[in-house]
Amino acid sequence: MLRDVRFSYDDGTSWAVDGVDLTIPEGERIAIVGANGSGKSTLGRIIAGLSAPDSGIVTLLGLRVFDGGAHADRYRKARHGIGVVFQNPEDQIVTTVVDDDVAFGPENLGVPSERIGERIETALQCVGMTGHADADPTRMSGGQQQRVAIAGMLAMRPRMIVLDEPTAMLDESGRSEVMAVLDELHAHGTTVVHITHSPDEAMAADRVIVIRDGRIVEDDRPSSDSMPSSRPGPLRQKASSPNAAHPSSAGPLWQRELSDECRGEGVEPPDRATVGRESPSETSPHNRDGSPIITMSHVSFAYDRDHPILRDVSLTVNDGETIAVMGRNGGGKSTLIRLLCALATPDDGDITVAGIPVARRSSGGSRPLRRRDRRGLRGIVGYVMQHPERQLFAETVADDVAYGPRNLGLSGEELDERVDTTLEALGIDHLAGRSPFDLSGGQQRMVAIAGVLACRPRILVMDEPTSSLDADAAGRIRGLIARLGEQGVTVVIVTHDRAEAMSADRVVELCDGVVVPHVPNAPDGRPAIPSTPASPSRKGQSETRRNTERDGTSFVAMLDPRMKMSLTLVLMFTAFAIRTPAQLGIAAVAVGCAMAAARLHPLAVAHSVRLFLGLFAVMSMLNVFFVRSGETLLHLGPIPVTDDGLWTALVYAGRLALVVVLGAVLVLTTTPTRLTDAFEALLAPLQRFGVHTGEIALVMSLALRFMPTLAGETRAIIDAQAARGGSVESGAPLQRIRALTAIIVPVFAGALRHAGNLGLALDARCYEGGEGRTHYRPLRCTWRDVVFAVFSATYLVVLFATPILFVR
Amino acid sequence: MGGSSSSVSSSATSHSTGVGGSGRWSTGRIAVYALFVALTMVTSFIELPIFPAAPWLKYDPSGIVCLVAGFAFGPSTAAIVSVLGFTPHLFADPWGTLMAIGVSLALSVPAALVYRRWRSRRGAVSGILLGAAVALAVAVLGNLAITPIYAHMTVAQVAAMIVPVLLPFNLLKFAIHGVVTFLVYKPVSTLLNR
Repeated sequence: MLRDVRFSYDDGTSWAVDGVDLTIPEGERIAIVGANGSGKSTLGRIIAGLSAPDSGIVTLLGLRVFDGGAHADRYRKARHGIGVVFQNPEDQIVTTVVDDDVAFGPENLGVPSERIGERIETALQCVGMTGHADADPTRMSGGQQQRVAIAGMLAMRPRMIVLDEPTAMLDESGRSEVMAVLDELHAHGTTVVHITHSPDEAMAADRVIVIRDGRIVEDDRPSSDSMPSSRPGPLRQKASSPNAAHPSSAGPLWQRELSDECRGEGVEPPDRATVGRESPSETSPHNRDGSPIITMSHVSFAYDRDHPILRDVSLTVNDGETIAVMGRNGGGKSTLIRLLCALATPDDGDITVAGIPVARRSSGGSRPLRRRDRRGLRGIVGYVMQHPERQLFAETVADDVAYGPRNLGLSGEELDERVDTTLEALGIDHLAGRSPFDLSGGQQRMVAIAGVLACRPRILVMDEPTSSLDADAAGRIRGLIARLGEQGVTVVIVTHDRAEAMSADRVVELCDGVVVPHVPNAPDGRPAIPSTPASPSRKGQSETRRNTERDGTSFVAMLDPRMKMSLTLVLMFTAFAIRTPAQLGIAAVAVGCAMAAARLHPLAVAHSVRLFLGLFAVMSMLNVFFVRSGETLLHLGPIPVTDDGLWTALVYAGRLALVVVLGAVLVLTTTPTRLTDAFEALLAPLQRFGVHTGEIALVMSLALRFMPTLAGETRAIIDAQAARGGSVESGAPLQRIRALTAIIVPVFAGALRHAGNLGLALDARCYEGGEGRTHYRPLRCTWRDVVFAVFSATYLVVLFATPILFVR
Repeated sequence: MGGSSSSVSSSATSHSTGVGGSGRWSTGRIAVYALFVALTMVTSFIELPIFPAAPWLKYDPSGIVCLVAGFAFGPSTAAIVSVLGFTPHLFADPWGTLMAIGVSLALSVPAALVYRRWRSRRGAVSGILLGAAVALAVAVLGNLAITPIYAHMTVAQVAAMIVPVLLPFNLLKFAIHGVVTFLVYKPVSTLLNR
């Protein structure tokens, strides 16, 4: 039960929250609405008990946590009953299995292990994710991830949940999923505090609180139709801002609140008339001669054999057209446009862009682009990746925008002029001297797009250009796209948004890797939009499969990970003592047993380590040339190849191969969570020396979880900068170093951004150090571990006894 | 640059609730460690051939991450990031990984120690030079010890054939680490202080 929350908050020179009185009775659902920078997030954090104000009195759940000074113990207690969900779904996920992720909160609270299972089940049921307990949350859609995050909070049985713009980064289906969950929570009696900038979402609340410049300006039940809001707010309104009485204009106060943000941001609002074209014929035809500028025929692509992303895709785009590519998540849309920009090579098929052969079908697959052609392509095609603001790296906006044209060869005055005109055209020229990291999300995106447009591309390819933006920023981008279309630029957009697709000339739908024949625009100008299905895609099933392989019931998978990990390491290190083929044979038999016990197919394992095997084969060839003893079998030029040489090569390559295979078996049969649990347990003796083993284990676990995320982002940034002409692998040394900087700075920026959000998420899950935590899956040694230990010991004895007992 | 007890926050004054004060590591710190370790892991898998004379010797940018971590947060962070960052490789290449960890520690920890004393450009450069020298020594010694285990050669053979290639390669590698860290550190530290 939340009582009088009241404080002022001085952040240096300005007050983010300025004299707010607020009471939230238990069980109520309130929405806090305001423009960006109004202080709603800060207020949310204070309500959630994550940060303390500067003055005032804060009482959370009946505990007076702040009255001039913060009371740490009471905050700790209060936080145990408050759940917090943040904007970015993926930064709230701490591990790669849904079960373990939801268990993290209860573990931190010290809930006994037996009880955690039922809490997880109820929580997942509440959010509608029951079947996904074994799935990998990092591969889910945003809506699903947010639901898992909410489940993670619910498992801690909070009395109140604070959600800070939970749907801001989600698409339509994700948004509706989350809103449905909120309704459910409210029905269960949990107090819900929903911070949002969307008036539609605020409608569902019992009470709407509007905040502006740190003060509450209205606190009322939401009204369903527009009405002038010159009425004063109800009793509790203390600070009344002079603008509270607006002239009667349509829309409740908060809707107008949010449209003011546009002007506040200093970017010109889009010209409404140009946003969205009703029918293609309205567009000026002067730059469109209609000939194909992009042709793709029979293109296929797959990351691995079992999961083809694109199958026999054929597509033609005409000069000056604007087309929208739609389809389910994971359906290959992003891959398709990467292929267009020569950022990846298809397995098969032809692609021609503006006369340049980007890929040509040949006997082994498709041949990629030649370097000269690549440079030509960079000047013609502009690529805007998802969340392009992540590629910003320079000290000033002007520098960043200049990166592309500079790589194309512009310099001096011409370069400056190009940068200036581009910035002006997008309405952001007043930002030219500022650091890109100081800007708001919408502004950053405009800067990133400017960086691509400054290369004056004939074809612009954009991957979800308006994702995670609020309505006004999205509108600006759409206006921009429309203007580009009028200027004759060919635009290819990947989108989930119907409004955007509606403004395109044509919609292409990718379904299961093929282009589905699509009905062209209906006579009234509205294209037939494919509906996005809500059920998880094939990808979801494959991710479940991958996790169950590890959680399977094979002998090896059921071993206590501590035993597994330590013994595997021992076996790996001692493998380097193998010197004779006989020993190699014994080791091979042992590893074969291990693979059988893990129910892993040897070829599958070999495939997963094939790169290493190739390397070892090559390295061992060197050994052949070094060993001169023994009988000479043949001569390769001046170098004798002896039988000793061959045996040595075999032994050295063989033992390296076995080491790698052992490692692979370990990794393939143990989830990262179990591995880090084992790691923590093995480190435990160090606690006596004051080493914080619990925290280290958590760092390890989080690092493993974020590794694929960072790898993906690094890949995307490398692509985006390459598309602007920056490449590390070719060019003058100075240019290459600059290109490396253009990759490294954004990667670090991204890592820090994740870290900031993650820190808050850990706080929200009440992580308070490694002490006092329980474990959902406690580690237990069983008979299997004894068997394994005996087996390993026997193997080692035999291995080392062989050379003594037997002479080859 | 942060001291060891401040969490990564964006407000100028601290609005901490005091809950994080119990253990030595705050959640903000844990998060930053985790991301830097993840970044080291990711970069340790990137391999670029930089030495035309010996194309099998690959450069991996993970040293840059450890150096930046050390400059930004201190020597203990550099140590943690270096050790934890290479652990995934332990299960593919045990002895080689131990050497890689050794080299990374040798590069980043001395550099961080020097920078902690002299927080200036000159301090940064000296730190990197010192780190490079120590790391070079560790790399050569490590190779002398470990290459005979991987390929059938005696220590003398390694010294004669590999070291002449190894020395210039490692020098080049540390030079790149140093230059890039130097270039990158200013924008990254502005981000950190935000």
